[in-house]
Amino acid sequence: MRMVIKGNGAVAHAVRLARPQVISAYPITPQTSIIEGIASMVAEGKIDARFIKVESEHSALAGCIAAESAGARTFTATSAQGLALMHEVIHWAAGARLPIVLANVNRAMAPGWSIWTDQTDSLSQRDTGWMQVYCQSAQEVVDSVIQAYKVSERVLLPTMVILDAFFLSHTYEDVEVPEPGLVDGFLPPLDLPQKMDLEHPAALGNLVFPDRYMEFRRKMDLAHQVALGVWDEVGREWGELTGRPYGLVEQYRMDDAELVLVTAATTASTARVVIDALRDEGVAAGLLRLRVFRPFPADLIRTILADRKKVVILDRNCSFGHHGIFHQEIKSALYELPAGQQPEMHGVIAGLGGRDVTVEDLRGMLMGVWEGRITKPVTWWNVLEAKGAETGAVAMG
Amino acid sequence: MVDLNPKMLEDIPVTSYSDNSTLLIKTGAWKYVQPSYEDKLPACSHQCPAGNDISKALDLIARGDVAAAARLWRAGNPFPASLGRVCPHPCEDQCNRGQFGGAIAIHMMERFLGDRSLDPEFLPKAKPATGKKVAVIGGGPAGVAAAYNLALAGHAVEVFDDKPAAGGYLRTGIPAYRLPKDVLDRELALVEQTGVQFTLNTRVGRDVSFDELRNRFDAVIVTIGFHGSRPLGVPGEDHENVYNGVHLLERILAGERPELPRRMAVVGGGNTAMDVARSLLRIGVEPIVVYRRSRMEMPAIPTEVDEAIAEGIRFEFLTAPSRVIIENGKVTALECRKMRLGEPDESGRRRPIPVEGSEFPVEVGGVVTAIGETAELDFLPDEARDGWRVAADERFVTPVEGVFAAGDAAFGEGTVTAAVGAGRRVAMVVDAFLGGRELPSVAPPTQASWERPVNIDQTVHVEQLNPAYFTEVPRPEIHELDPQTRSTSFDEVVQGFTEEEAIREARRCMVCGTCNECCNCLFFCPDVAIHKRSGAFGFDIDGDHCKGCGICVEECPRNALSLVEVKS
Ligand code: SF4
Ligand code: SF4
Repeated sequence: MRMVIKGNGAVAHAVRLARPQVISAYPITPQTSIIEGIASMVAEGKIDARFIKVESEHSALAGCIAAESAGARTFTATSAQGLALMHEVIHWAAGARLPIVLANVNRAMAPGWSIWTDQTDSLSQRDTGWMQVYCQSAQEVVDSVIQAYKVSERVLLPTMVILDAFFLSHTYEDVEVPEPGLVDGFLPPLDLPQKMDLEHPAALGNLVFPDRYMEFRRKMDLAHQVALGVWDEVGREWGELTGRPYGLVEQYRMDDAELVLVTAATTASTARVVIDALRDEGVAAGLLRLRVFRPFPADLIRTILADRKKVVILDRNCSFGHHGIFHQEIKSALYELPAGQQPEMHGVIAGLGGRDVTVEDLRGMLMGVWEGRITKPVTWWNVLEAKGAETGAVAMG
Repeated sequence: MVDLNPKMLEDIPVTSYSDNSTLLIKTGAWKYVQPSYEDKLPACSHQCPAGNDISKALDLIARGDVAAAARLWRAGNPFPASLGRVCPHPCEDQCNRGQFGGAIAIHMMERFLGDRSLDPEFLPKAKPATGKKVAVIGGGPAGVAAAYNLALAGHAVEVFDDKPAAGGYLRTGIPAYRLPKDVLDRELALVEQTGVQFTLNTRVGRDVSFDELRNRFDAVIVTIGFHGSRPLGVPGEDHENVYNGVHLLERILAGERPELPRRMAVVGGGNTAMDVARSLLRIGVEPIVVYRRSRMEMPAIPTEVDEAIAEGIRFEFLTAPSRVIIENGKVTALECRKMRLGEPDESGRRRPIPVEGSEFPVEVGGVVTAIGETAELDFLPDEARDGWRVAADERFVTPVEGVFAAGDAAFGEGTVTAAVGAGRRVAMVVDAFLGGRELPSVAPPTQASWERPVNIDQTVHVEQLNPAYFTEVPRPEIHELDPQTRSTSFDEVVQGFTEEEAIREARRCMVCGTCNECCNCLFFCPDVAIHKRSGAFGFDIDGDHCKGCGICVEECPRNALSLVEVKS
């Protein structure tokens, strides 16, 4: 059914279609309308689930962990400080191999207090063992939430489906919301191989001595390797059902591209406009959009970027003291290329705390690199100049 | 089953998991504190002078066992049906439910249980006879409560009273619209069933000597109450139309209808004044209450004052009599002076000060005095008297060997409820005395006679409850006769609860400080160390596995668990 809904509404509808049994959540801007939407659906009987109101995000995810351990399909949503508060149990969910699906609306971390988008909150959870999918449209949100359940439950790893604050969470779009029958055929009911069983009491998450701990971690890492293939397969299967196939990454006008912009989430929509314009002006530009970020499709990205001339990696995040996080990941993936195939790489940090990344910004950074005006490995885009950077005055004052 | 010797990664589960019993790991060894079930005194019982076990009884009702609740309430208190009607219910002022929708109507519950247990099958089983004999002088609430508890303890008790019927102030001082006489009679009949012998129309010092009682009995308890109002101390008060309130009330309540003037001033602000005024109204006299302080300072039960006002009785506050005006041998008015309030006196209430030149007449044909009462103690030896009261220490022991005293004449607490509590307490002291046990330095509190152990040093107020578990539920309405009907009759004003109403009200009780097997502790224990006793009340804590985290104590809604230090 076609509907005009926001990104947050898209999450709620996808959750409805996935038929979770337990939803445990705590409100936080800009995520709140997701769980409000779901709560209404539960109240109206459109979702047959137990909705647990909790006093914090830590408890929200703990509630999902408990329910999922008992074999129930679960959902929660959060953002920024809320995700950070969950951190301890974020590890637990992955280590316990519970296929929970969480929607995170990307929001900048405080202080200074901000409710606008950037990716620092979700990327701070990069190493927890969760899978991460970055979406660019409300349509992709609906499709990814449903796919996330399928992939998660196949490989027993939790997934964060990630959408930009406001640009996506609160922007209305024309969305095709699938029929329940279609989703039921695609996503079978959850049947966990290992769950709480009152007939056979067991201790979950118990003490593991050094002689066995690494084996559990190795299994988690292998599950991520397997998941790469599963995402690919599930994305294709979804395409056959709906006409909307998905891959681990998305390529736009990449065939003969010499100048490539790598980015994720909604910036990609703006980028397509710029790529088209540059093509019209005779520059062989292309876009590589990161979608599934964990597991990281390093081999695929290496193949795509080999032999390109110049690559600009746009990060809406920063690992302070080093580069943008996508930049680091792409560089490490390309390290294995022989010198002759290595493109020239430039990182750009832009759009933190919700600052707009406009068509002019993207054109400026792409052409700056293409025409050799930008030479530094990392550029903070469009910020005030630091006169005292060398003396340290800027950092201390 | 978990494979304990895996060869391949596939042989181990996806996450750590043990299907062995965790009982092997004695987590209890870590603790330095441990939870222990410990009932504490709920705020209501802390305030109840009669020593009623309110929370336990209400819990029994809520669980559907009305009979057990009725039995429990009558266990040490012979007058629940009466007290439920006449007690000013201080318990409700402190009831923790007050913060969650309105105090439990405890007095209504007491009345319900009292009315339910007006049958011998609700009496506790008496202990075997001890062969000891006790005389009780005064058949009022204190004396009867002492007699009842001592009889149940196996002693032979005889109560002496100078009136034709026992009950004391409950009979002579409380009008039928508050306490129907048949209710009182039935409660006294139950006391007789326990073996208490009532010797009526017998005044000690006139019909039998005090020394004779001391000789015939192993112990004597003096529980006489107050008789008579103090004089006003103003000119003209010896006129025949100036009446002593206690005596006049006694006559009206006994059914007499004396010839009285059409309008009368009732001087005083206590319960006797209210009872006199409301009784006069019912026999066609127009009372005017004259009180020297303001409404705020009135010692009468506030609801009694409300009811009197609702019945249209006129009050002259900040007014004190200065003279009875007599013309041609007839009272024509009570001359009064206006008062203003000064600094608080030793009673904590503000002292009334006359306003110079403010005299004005209150036109009445007669005056009733109800300004504080005195006891009649002439039969006692000198050493047993201390001014207007019987000399007794905090154990109720008098200087005369084997003689004890309790109630108004000893301590003047002034309510029927306090008298019942005192009777209950003096019974414990006398029982120890008769059993040859050492007497405590202070008489034990009423709750010491409860069957269940309770830590009475800790009172559970709202701050000690876990508010997460309680939501507001409003207090039910209490039905009364309308003021029109009641001002012309002695029918009972307040209507009792039906069983359905009582059960609903009992369910509102938060059962403060009292384990009610809600099982929260058991649900919350992360170490599965709490087990419900099968076939018995309560839980056991498995000390080998309880690691002393205290979550159960925190999550007990009603503070019925305590953390205690583990002594190594
Ligand atoms: S005797 Fe009075 S204080 Fe005690 S429970 Fe009854 S009404 Fe409350
Ligand atoms: S709620 Fe119940 S136990 Fe608590 S103070 Fe009131 S009557 Fe007593």
